[in-house]
Amino acid sequence: MRRGRLSGLAAGALPPAVFVLVLFVAWDLYVRWRDVKAYLLSPPVEVFRALATDPGRFADAAAESLTAALGGLLIASVVAFGLAVVMAHSRTLERALYPPALLVKVTPIVAIYPLLAIWFGFGIGPKVAIAALITFFPMLVNAVVGLRSIDPQAHDFMRVLHASRWQVFWRLRLPSSLPYVFAALRISVPLSLVGAVVAEFLSGSSGMGQLILIANGDFDTAGLFGAALVLAAMGVSLTAAVSYVEGRVLTWHDSSGG
Amino acid sequence: MSTGAAAIEVRGLAHRYHGAEGALQALDRIDLSVADGEFVSLVGPSGCGKTTLLRAIGGLLRVETGEVQVLGVDPEEAQQRRLFGLVSQEPGLLPWRSVEANVRLPLEVTGAAADVRALLTRVGIGEFARYAPRQLSGGMRQRVALARALVHGPRVLLMDEPFGALDELSREAMRLELLRLWESERITVLFVTHSIREAVLLSDRVVVMAPRPGRILDDLRVPLPRPRTDALEETPEFAALVTRIRAVLREAQ
Repeated sequence: MRRGRLSGLAAGALPPAVFVLVLFVAWDLYVRWRDVKAYLLSPPVEVFRALATDPGRFADAAAESLTAALGGLLIASVVAFGLAVVMAHSRTLERALYPPALLVKVTPIVAIYPLLAIWFGFGIGPKVAIAALITFFPMLVNAVVGLRSIDPQAHDFMRVLHASRWQVFWRLRLPSSLPYVFAALRISVPLSLVGAVVAEFLSGSSGMGQLILIANGDFDTAGLFGAALVLAAMGVSLTAAVSYVEGRVLTWHDSSGG
Repeated sequence: MSTGAAAIEVRGLAHRYHGAEGALQALDRIDLSVADGEFVSLVGPSGCGKTTLLRAIGGLLRVETGEVQVLGVDPEEAQQRRLFGLVSQEPGLLPWRSVEANVRLPLEVTGAAADVRALLTRVGIGEFARYAPRQLSGGMRQRVALARALVHGPRVLLMDEPFGALDELSREAMRLELLRLWESERITVLFVTHSIREAVLLSDRVVVMAPRPGRILDDLRVPLPRPRTDALEETPEFAALVTRIRAVLREAQ
């Protein structure tokens, strides 16, 4: 079974890997053949050279962005899940809390960045705040639905045993909500990166956002491609990490294991 | 608790469901008494209120009027005293728990102690203790649900069409399994089904119900000898009872 899963993974990863390779080759050939100016489109070799000449610069920036993104994601997930527990137990509280939560979702976060900068300064604070605001809603909505998605027959069974709310929560609601929590994480992990980088664009102080701003100012097209590549790799790895943990935790669920 | 009190006592029970198209009289003037250790079935077509009645007795539904007593106390108190076991049409097992852990759930909730492995063996799923529910067939899952309903030593077993979702062969096997278990435990069973044959084969009494409004048409004693086996279904006495219940139901239409 393990072997089947691994070879399944290889079969899943091979076609896109081949496609990307073909893309790189085509890109390289095009640049050489048409003699495209380097500031418009750098050949892949230049992009990799930009990454290789100063890997520390990319690594530091990536680490800064990642810290802000994951910090925001963690705070938002904990707060959203806590709120979801409250909302799943009371329709009144759900009605009271849902509109303000929706307001957070529909407000363009770029618009409140100056406020966040005033409150949290110019360091990591506003970045974490933006990453948190952007990932808050998917977790809240999914967690409420998940906590409500309990099997009614299992719930009836626990009720005739006079199980406490607490027992129902730990033994039924919480495990039932996990597939929805992981679905939310798969949405909000890439979003948290978007939030952190957008905040860095606005503040220009550090991280991948700042690195991109500087490369842009220098007409360093290879550096811009390099930054995009690094961010893409971060998004892919984080999503893969979520899927891996999900597969480990939700062995009982239909969606696990592919 | 007074000895000799009925296991289940229902007096003047009425209940309406309030929906978009107005109120539906789910139950009307229901009186029912089930003796301790008795096996009673509720049969009738869809909408006759048999499940509503079972839920009212189990304290899963607060009725509008009337009184329900279980071993001398109200359903809420009966829940607190852990008097109930419940088996529904769908097993309602926790998919993240093994068979054994599922059956242990009532012990965790109530703080009671029991030999789970021995019980699993008694209901014929001893070797599947470590399996996940989804690895089992429908019939096997319902055996797990039955073990889970019995593990904490309930006095009243509520069964809501427990074999309704099973194929015919599994149903027959489960009926005999239930009979075998009940004949050794002798706890009170309230069994909801829409199968007349199933009701007659299993029960001491068959309560026949009709819809609009949900009411009791007849309450028949089943004088067939125990222990019962499926061979009983071929006897003229069995056929006569089934025919009689069918006639009662047809008359009400």
